[in-house]
Amino acid sequence: MKIHVNEQVLELAENINIEQLLVHLDKPLIGSAVAVNQDIISRSHWADTILNEGDNISLFQAIAGG
Amino acid sequence: MLNDDELLRYSRHLLLEDVGETGQQALKNAKVLIIGMGGLGSPASLYLAAAGVGHIVLNDFDHIEVSNLQRQISYQSDDIGEAKVEVAKRKLQQINPEIKVRSINKAMPEIQLTMELTMADLVLDCTDNMASRQLINKSCVDAKVPLIVGAAIRFEGQLMFFDHSETDSPCYHCLFPGSEEQTLNCSNSGIIGPVVGTIGTLQALEAIKYFVGLPSGIKNKLKLFDGKSLDWQTFTINKDPKCTVCGQH
Repeated sequence: MKIHVNEQVLELAENINIEQLLVHLDKPLIGSAVAVNQDIISRSHWADTILNEGDNISLFQAIAGG
Repeated sequence: MLNDDELLRYSRHLLLEDVGETGQQALKNAKVLIIGMGGLGSPASLYLAAAGVGHIVLNDFDHIEVSNLQRQISYQSDDIGEAKVEVAKRKLQQINPEIKVRSINKAMPEIQLTMELTMADLVLDCTDNMASRQLINKSCVDAKVPLIVGAAIRFEGQLMFFDHSETDSPCYHCLFPGSEEQTLNCSNSGIIGPVVGTIGTLQALEAIKYFVGLPSGIKNKLKLFDGKSLDWQTFTINKDPKCTVCGQH
């Protein structure tokens, strides 16, 4: 299936969850936030949130500067 | 009641249907706690003082360094070595002698923060590190005090508003649960002044809107600002039922 990650198209196997996506992309699990179609998914739901064809995924880091 | 000087000073607010004399009086009665007086706290406090927010408490433990001056617009070269909150307090009183400004020149332990929150209507998180952000979030959740969070590094900004007076509000910890997370800050990543200034300015705008009773467009939202493209992205923050900070409330 095709999904969009930070506006890049990505071809993935079916039934992949958010945690698996981050591992696949070699992204840190700590300090990352993930939104699926503009909805931020809490970290406690990463493992049970299955991605679907056409989903828009946004990955970004916590920033603390001020 | 507003005095004659205030009627003149705030005449451009009084022209606005959404502020008017009622809104200006609400600003005068408002009590805001600004934690962190760097690149976010500088513009946020300058605008809130100018707008007539009647009670402003400034908290920081830092002294002004030359490397701050590229973005922390409350300070100038003569101020190097002085405590940020003392210089900022002086500046705010010069801008607006009608308001009360109090400074807390130390890193507040949790117990003192909790005490300060009993006297605050709203908190602006303008800090520069994750541990402070987590402590401020937890304290605001416990005290049910609304919190406007700003953050910036490089060309990126983040802005969120949590109304902790509402029991179903999500919190900062629902979004970023780890307090020991290695996060990016201005001293390890760099920052462009107007980017952090934009976020601090919007924290002030949201605070003014909150005090005059206008709904926030960013409640339970995360706004991401890209200072290169000037694009904004908006995300909904959902309450995590398993959140160790706000989940049991």
